[in-house]
Amino acid sequence: MSLELLLIIAFGGALFTYLVGKVSYKVRDFLAVVISLSLVTFVACLYGKSLEKTFYSGFFGLDLVLRLNMLSWFFAITITIIGALSIIFSLSYIKGREKTDFYFLMMLLVNAAMLGIVLAGDMVSFYIFWEIMSWSAFLLISYNKGPALAAGMKYIIMSIIGSVCFLVGMLSLYVSFDTLNISQIASVIGSASSGYILFILTAFGIAFGIKNAVLPFHTWLPDAHSEAPSPFSAVLSGILVRMGMYGFLLIFYVILGLKSFLGLGQGLYSFHYILAWIGAINIVIPTFIAMLQNDAKRLLAWHGVGQGGYMILGVALGTKLGVAGGTFHIVNHTSYIALLFLVVGAVEYRTGGIRDLNSLGGLIKKMPVTFVGALVGACGLIGVPLTNGFVSKWLIYKSLILEGYPFLAFAALIGTWGTILSLYKFLHNIFLGQLPEKYRDIQKSPISMQLPMIVLSLVILLFGILPGIPLKVINAIGISFGFESLNVGLWGITSETGVLNTVNIFAAVLIAAALVWLVFRSTAKSVPVAQEDSYAAGAHTPPDKYHYTAEFYNPLHRMIKPFLRDVIDEFYYWIASSVRSCAGILRRIYTGDVGNYVMYIILFLSLLIFVQMKWKVW
Amino acid sequence: MESMVAKITQIILSPVLALIVGVFFLGLARKIMARIHWRYGPPLIQPVIDMIKLFYQKGVSHGRMFDLGIILSLAGSIVVVLFLPFGRIAPLSSSGGLLVILYIMLLAPLGMALSGGQGANPNISIGISRKLILSLGYEVPLLLVLLTVMTRYKTISIMEVVSAQQSTSWSIISFPLFLSGLSYFLILPAILGIRPFDMSSAPQEISSGPMVEYGGKYLALATIEHAFVLFISIALFVNLFLGGAANPVTFFLKMLVVFVLGLCINAVFPRFRIEQAIKYLWKWPTLLAFLGLIITLAIRS
Repeated sequence: MSLELLLIIAFGGALFTYLVGKVSYKVRDFLAVVISLSLVTFVACLYGKSLEKTFYSGFFGLDLVLRLNMLSWFFAITITIIGALSIIFSLSYIKGREKTDFYFLMMLLVNAAMLGIVLAGDMVSFYIFWEIMSWSAFLLISYNKGPALAAGMKYIIMSIIGSVCFLVGMLSLYVSFDTLNISQIASVIGSASSGYILFILTAFGIAFGIKNAVLPFHTWLPDAHSEAPSPFSAVLSGILVRMGMYGFLLIFYVILGLKSFLGLGQGLYSFHYILAWIGAINIVIPTFIAMLQNDAKRLLAWHGVGQGGYMILGVALGTKLGVAGGTFHIVNHTSYIALLFLVVGAVEYRTGGIRDLNSLGGLIKKMPVTFVGALVGACGLIGVPLTNGFVSKWLIYKSLILEGYPFLAFAALIGTWGTILSLYKFLHNIFLGQLPEKYRDIQKSPISMQLPMIVLSLVILLFGILPGIPLKVINAIGISFGFESLNVGLWGITSETGVLNTVNIFAAVLIAAALVWLVFRSTAKSVPVAQEDSYAAGAHTPPDKYHYTAEFYNPLHRMIKPFLRDVIDEFYYWIASSVRSCAGILRRIYTGDVGNYVMYIILFLSLLIFVQMKWKVW
Repeated sequence: MESMVAKITQIILSPVLALIVGVFFLGLARKIMARIHWRYGPPLIQPVIDMIKLFYQKGVSHGRMFDLGIILSLAGSIVVVLFLPFGRIAPLSSSGGLLVILYIMLLAPLGMALSGGQGANPNISIGISRKLILSLGYEVPLLLVLLTVMTRYKTISIMEVVSAQQSTSWSIISFPLFLSGLSYFLILPAILGIRPFDMSSAPQEISSGPMVEYGGKYLALATIEHAFVLFISIALFVNLFLGGAANPVTFFLKMLVVFVLGLCINAVFPRFRIEQAIKYLWKWPTLLAFLGLIITLAIRS
């Protein structure tokens, strides 16, 4: 299985699916699923291989290279799995909407482009795939029209700014080193001055930071995530945004190398320490903003920004545990945020597009599988033990504490509490509490929606109980970055500085729960009652009005709201509006009337003649 | 083989001991409060009598999550107890340390909140909302305190914190850590949810909040859960700041002193509103904890 063939299947399959869709919907759906699943299989078969191949030489004198190593395999398998699951989920989600052929084309194209990014071995092909990804994502974000158009516009403008920064960095690298092959740059960049390296890091940092939605480049994300179709939101938040994280890993550890990355700057002013603080700020502020959201997808979107902070924090630390934790958190985040977006998608699908947290409730009785998905996903996002989120966070916290950064650890830990509050609100307002009268006849979600949710839930639990499986791959990545090997067992970490044994925790919880359950079963039976049959101090309980969800955290809201204004977004809007008014002034000059232009030319010429006559400059 | 038997004995013994201590504290609390109010008060074993009675009574169930939530919550508390050293009894304390304890402590409130959520009563929703806001309030100083301890002793293992104190002196009387200890003591009533921080289960305002739909065995299990929470938060304090103990009896005596002190101070306060509670928690305890951490960091480097 060569890498070109993989990409040909990915891109060709996308186009072919589009063409087939013109003939038959059913065959197209089938084909989309088959292509995405076969990509998963092919990538899985490539496990452990290390390949490098020039697929096109002579692109303005440059070779375009594809290469595979542990890092790119790790991302590739995540991309293909999430891609396949979102395609399966889309089957019923998108049914009956307009332009479904186009939708499937774009979904497959986004996945193919991301696959291209992680397999690219030189900057040019990286950039080409990066742009394909950005533009197809733009088209998908705007798919729903209406407010989605504005969200897409915001996204693509920021994306273009990122691309320009990428181009600047890339051209500068080419001028300095005369090559754009990633491994060749890595071998010569050590000779560059630290000022130059800082410039390169800033250029690429802005490019990847915009994609990864790092503060202060995060403002496109909440709009884009909430307005996109839900299966694509899962891809977008799960893995597309994390391409920025891949870029960070690539630039910090593959190109620059561990030693020069940590050697940049001194003490408190060292580059990686400042980056770690950016990560910490990224955790706290977005998480607390998420708590105040009333739109289910917007709430999750803000967590997408917040969880990105954990990854940056871990990766920026530059210790073996920290980088392993940060990298592990990428795949964990992918699994649970994708699951949660799919859950919202299923709810939207059944309630007719409702995702306002204040008007839902009680759906646990109608959509039990979806609720279990939401619960597992929420636990993963919070980092409850026995889910994968806990293991990666444990790694990050532990390295923060042992390295002596308690304040960074504090930011990371308090972020967890913000997550609990907002995710409980999410669960409570959608699934718990009273079921409104209008949702009384709602159906449970279709099987093609349940399947991806079940798969993702199982992955979350499996990686949480046996974290050794993914950590083996991550350990190999860490070794390729130049770290010492971690002591990974199937059940967790055994290092000289402390042990994490998830199987022990799992067994303890299981036995304790079984014990309590036995007590519960053996005592007096309880009587099941209807939801209206609840204590109201003897008063009549009106149906439909007995659900307390609106303004769930009102007292806290009042206290912290003034501190959580999104000033950065306001600042960008201010720039946009000033650019617009400047353009308005310019438009007065460029009227489009030829007569005016002739007048400008004559005026300019007469000015020149006047200058010549008066001062004789020429 | 010998050590295996010892381990299993410990695993069975520690939750049982924790339950006995917790229930005793529940009874003691009612007695002491009654004496402060100039009443006679119920007998010490009143909570046990109530529980036995409740297990024989019928309760109402609002659905699957209503049942599972409370089971999860109680199981979570039992697991935390296994991780906490009680004197020398510490069956699982080597599988991840304080960070794991911190996170497994989530299971109990999460289970309660999920169970209550399906109860579909506005009193529950208000109660849970207050409880979660309050916990965000006390987590700020609590996390700072725990991080200070971990930074000071350069470990995340609670066993090592205990043994380090036994070889030198208790944290509560060593220089920067007494600030953190004081801070922990100040937030202890908030963690326990006793007055003035009982707004989440205020009986007069919101009919005991999350407990309103519980009856029969649900109420009994919730009471056991409360007993465990009492035990856990005080045992954590004793382990981190009072040097743990060499045997369970000394450990219990230390817990008793902390509990009675806390109770006497807080019995005289009226209930806070939730905003007032947050303002208090984010002011003095946080300031003390913050100061403790800064000084600890300065000493370390």
